[in-house]
Amino acid sequence: MKTTRREILALGAAGMAASLLTGCETLEQRLTAATLPENALPPPNLPVHSPVVRLLNRAAYGPRPGDIAYVTRLGIAGYVAEQLAPETLAEEPILALRLRSLADTLNPDTGTLFDMDDHRVVEALREATLLRAVYSRRQLSERMVEFWTDHFNIYAFKGQGPQLKVVDDHATIRSHALGKFRDLLGASAQSAAMLGYLDNTANMKGIPNENYARELMELHTLGVHGGYTQRDVKEVARCFSGWTFENHWHRGRFRFKADMHDDGPKCVLGVSLPAGGGVKDGERVLDILAAHPATAEHLARKLCTHFLGETSDSWTRRLAAIFTASDGDIKPILLELLTSADLLSAKPILKRPLDFAVSSLRALNADTDGGVGVQRHLESMGQALYAWPMPDGFPEAAHFWTGALIPRWNFALALSGSRAENTRLDLPALTGAGKKSGLTPHDTLLEFAFSCSPQDPALSGLRALTPQYPNLAEYTAVVLMSPAFQWH
Amino acid sequence: MLSTRRGLFALGALSALALTAGPRSALGGVTVTSRKSGPPGDVLVSIFLRGGVDGLSMVVPHADDAYYKNRPTIALGRPNDTRLALKDRVQDLDGYFGLHPALTPLMPLYAAGQLAVIHACGSGDQTRSHFEAMATMERGVSADTGPASGWLARHLETAPWHNSSPLRAVSLGTILPQSLRGASNVTALTTLADLRLQSPFGGGTGRFEDSLRHLYTHDALAEAGQEALSVLKTLNQLPASPVLTKHSSYPADDLGNGLRQVAQLIKSEVGLEAACLDQGGYDTHVAQGTSAGILAGRLESLGKSLAAFAADLGPERWGRTTVVVLSEFGRRVAENSGLGTDHGRGGAMLLLGGKSVAGGKVHGLWPGLAPEHLDGPGDLKVTTDYRNVLADVISMRLKNPNTAEIFPGLNASSLGAVHG
Repeated sequence: MKTTRREILALGAAGMAASLLTGCETLEQRLTAATLPENALPPPNLPVHSPVVRLLNRAAYGPRPGDIAYVTRLGIAGYVAEQLAPETLAEEPILALRLRSLADTLNPDTGTLFDMDDHRVVEALREATLLRAVYSRRQLSERMVEFWTDHFNIYAFKGQGPQLKVVDDHATIRSHALGKFRDLLGASAQSAAMLGYLDNTANMKGIPNENYARELMELHTLGVHGGYTQRDVKEVARCFSGWTFENHWHRGRFRFKADMHDDGPKCVLGVSLPAGGGVKDGERVLDILAAHPATAEHLARKLCTHFLGETSDSWTRRLAAIFTASDGDIKPILLELLTSADLLSAKPILKRPLDFAVSSLRALNADTDGGVGVQRHLESMGQALYAWPMPDGFPEAAHFWTGALIPRWNFALALSGSRAENTRLDLPALTGAGKKSGLTPHDTLLEFAFSCSPQDPALSGLRALTPQYPNLAEYTAVVLMSPAFQWH
Repeated sequence: MLSTRRGLFALGALSALALTAGPRSALGGVTVTSRKSGPPGDVLVSIFLRGGVDGLSMVVPHADDAYYKNRPTIALGRPNDTRLALKDRVQDLDGYFGLHPALTPLMPLYAAGQLAVIHACGSGDQTRSHFEAMATMERGVSADTGPASGWLARHLETAPWHNSSPLRAVSLGTILPQSLRGASNVTALTTLADLRLQSPFGGGTGRFEDSLRHLYTHDALAEAGQEALSVLKTLNQLPASPVLTKHSSYPADDLGNGLRQVAQLIKSEVGLEAACLDQGGYDTHVAQGTSAGILAGRLESLGKSLAAFAADLGPERWGRTTVVVLSEFGRRVAENSGLGTDHGRGGAMLLLGGKSVAGGKVHGLWPGLAPEHLDGPGDLKVTTDYRNVLADVISMRLKNPNTAEIFPGLNASSLGAVHG
């Protein structure tokens, strides 16, 4: 795919679908995302949920045209290895270009960031996230960004949250999404957005504020049954007293205020911390928590559930052991999960709204600016990004999401009927690819949507509806509304 | 949702009902609820204050000196403290407790006997974790054990009447609350407009609905899909401009808009039995404020929304409605250095309704705020199990006698806060 797409770009695939964005028009026209690569269609006679498709559904936000052929060529191990080294993957030029138009707003140099309008800042961050989820070649990295964004959830609409969340997204989540957990945890603990969101800015010598300390142990590390006590909450809070951030010069930068720090001796989870530790008290707590067996288990369980849809004691033990042996490295855990035979046999997972929207856009090679045309629907489907108020992040289990199917159906209708602003499908281009293989337009659409043979029994219900929908756009809506498309 | 529901049945939560009333399908013949007849009892509106509302600020023990000692900066003024402006003093309820001044819009309801307070109320959860305490309360259990389904779901599933309305239970907001986990016919909405298909293609949405009816038949989304289709159908049958409320006194926020939608559903007589709403922002670790500030802002919205809701429904419908207001825990008695409060235990619960509550009274056993009476790190003790309040509402107002199945293991004891 890398070479193919590059070739297409080099050929200057002008004259394809017109660009949606204003500015840089000539470049944009040549770089339009709606360009279909060679081998756009999956190979014929693929069964539903084949190994490659399952991998792309879980490690990525579903296949884009051409991805099946690409992963088939690399092999599952090859693809996972490539995804685990995202820095080696050149980004899609279209992504770089569209992100460039957001760069001014999202510059993590907080000096200029703080001059921006709150609402616009969150909007831009949402756009960037959606663009990356749809177009980035570093798909596993984007998936892990979503996972950690929930794990270290920050509600962006509290205080200076909009600007600080932009910094957090860059310096905490994205910088460490595939790294060592201790580094991620350390960055989060010094993230101004987190310190503000969980009130550590008010945690001072004298009477500590427990909010951050509690969620640090309950959600970020040990888990609620991880063996800590009320006393530990109080002691950890003392350790983090004085952890705050700059509010004027270098706004948003971490700052340890020694005069607000409780420098007496402390005891955390049975470990004594002598007096006079200063900023090292907090770092010491993070060391203890990151290395604690309960943390390994907690993360093992969450990651397994995220990628396999369920967990078991044996999986938890296995992943926790890898976590501990690798000193908290995320990559070997992902390698174990994504190359396991259980990935193929695991039950389907109900797509959350972001997954549903992004997988639709990817499967049908949509051209989108990631803006309000899609975001509006994410909100009514229940997943307005960075707006989950509680520190536990958006829920994953299916039963939280089944009450809001009508908004999903409305997204499917809007996308198919070209009613989502700055988001377009090029159905003639898709059906053109099928024509070469002798497929009808409707069958071509099924193949792009599900990456399997349209004759697969799982699609018989949808295929039987073909005669009722001579208008392909309407049929597209039905396909995206169908129960089959809600799972991955 | 499906597996949970199956789990609920498999756990035998319904076994007692099954023995006495036969299988659920047979109940269909017993009572058939038409659009106009509805279930025998009240409509239940459950409002969950997320984050742990500070019960001691919501319903202030102004006659307890320990309250003022523990809260040198964030205490609310005594009702007779003439040094303060009226708006900075609590609204006296009974000479001992008073409502937060931001809840003043509820005073007429209290005076009319339509608002009751249950103080020092809560669950057995000791973790002081939002998520554990919320899960405990929404599951309707006392601590970690017991059924995984929600208490409201178990009420709906054990109710000895049949109501096939797709709008039997709604949750405002798009994420379903755990209290409804395991219930059939649950719909999430933010506005009623979300519950209509908006097709950019000509020719109406009927074809799409027909196709979806065929497609949503066999996978785990079949039931949810069919429920959504029934919702579309029901709302399509409503007059184009239903009993749209002209009431303008609802605050223009999530709670105000949510209660406005619930009032519309009640007036439309679409078979609504239970509605769940959330109000967030109660985790006031920092700068919670006094008569103004973060907490006051939330409570002001709560008070205004509830007062508008009662007025909007009118005496007849308000007389067939019961509102419960709960939160996962109360907050620590002593204020913290950030002029806020940390997670605590006992809190205050509100009950409202036109005819349903023994209002004009603060119920429950007050444990006091002296150090020797506090729980754990310095929290108000729980002297009333919140489930006993809910059990009274369910049996006396909703007319579902199966509270033993809904709250397994509850040491039942009526508090007298609900009228039969």
